[in-house]
Amino acid sequence: MINLLFFGRLGDCALDVDKSIFYQDDLATPLDVRDWLAKAHGDLGKALSEPQVLVSVNKRVVKWDHPLADNDELAFLPPVTGG
Amino acid sequence: MSLNDDDFMRYSRHLLMDDIGEVGQEKLTQAKVLIVGLGGLGCPVALYLAAAGVGQIDLCDPDRVDKTNLQRQVLYRTEDCGELKVACAKDRLHALNSGITINVLAREVDVDILSGPSLTEAYTAIVDCTDNLAARQLINKTCYEQRIPLISAAAVGWEGQLVAFDFRRYRQLCFSCIIDYKSTEPMMNCSNFGVVGPVLGVMGSLQSITVMRMLLGFFEQHGELQRYDGKRGQWLTMQCASDTSCSICGPTDR
Repeated sequence: MINLLFFGRLGDCALDVDKSIFYQDDLATPLDVRDWLAKAHGDLGKALSEPQVLVSVNKRVVKWDHPLADNDELAFLPPVTGG
Repeated sequence: MSLNDDDFMRYSRHLLMDDIGEVGQEKLTQAKVLIVGLGGLGCPVALYLAAAGVGQIDLCDPDRVDKTNLQRQVLYRTEDCGELKVACAKDRLHALNSGITINVLAREVDVDILSGPSLTEAYTAIVDCTDNLAARQLINKTCYEQRIPLISAAAVGWEGQLVAFDFRRYRQLCFSCIIDYKSTEPMMNCSNFGVVGPVLGVMGSLQSITVMRMLLGFFEQHGELQRYDGKRGQWLTMQCASDTSCSICGPTDR
């Protein structure tokens, strides 16, 4: 399984999203998972495609092409730049 | 510069602590810190660092106080509207602690400002409290090149972020490894999305503590990213990784 975490306001767009998905070959990277989510959840897909959305796997910030493994925790973090 | 009688009274709660004490207080007194941005983050940072006795605090912000700032920028009062933020901030901080030096730089941040309070001296630390990505990237680049500790925070809506870099000790991993130098400005910021005042207080306080840890020699979390969601009361701490293709700290620049 891949455990999904939508941090902050992304959580508001992901209320009806199953937070555990089966690990499978065609969901091999955070980018794959984002594209897969976008097919069924348009608003979430749009929010995840904003510039500067960060992804972390097991509490490490990674690139969108980072290889996922079974039992990973994949977190999506919305951009924050105001001050 | 050693502590005087007034300092012993004023900073007595630091002096009581074994891991600060007189030696630590003198480190704070000798520090020269630049705060870039005197908005929602810069206000609490400036207040706590001034109260803590950081010896020189330079304030950089070109803006004037606007009524829409007063919901969260806790240094300013209604009658300050129209006045320069740095001038108002200097008055308030001096009223809090007249024993420290406060300089105002009422213009956009640039390399000259970041390069130090004088031609021969660098800042002990720079605190990024800005509200735009271009300034953040310039601050990061200069801090990296000049080996100045950088404490950077941001906030929007209910959310805050903090990341700090001790470029005196580490030459890999900088802000541009996390947010690419060529990245575009996000669509949401405090002006068009709003922000909850206390979120800025939380993140500004965390920045102040991180500055103090950096000045006192306690800081070890180079490139650790902390995120706060005030709406749900959640924290997330993650480690960032250096990007070998980073245009600032990539291999060719080390």
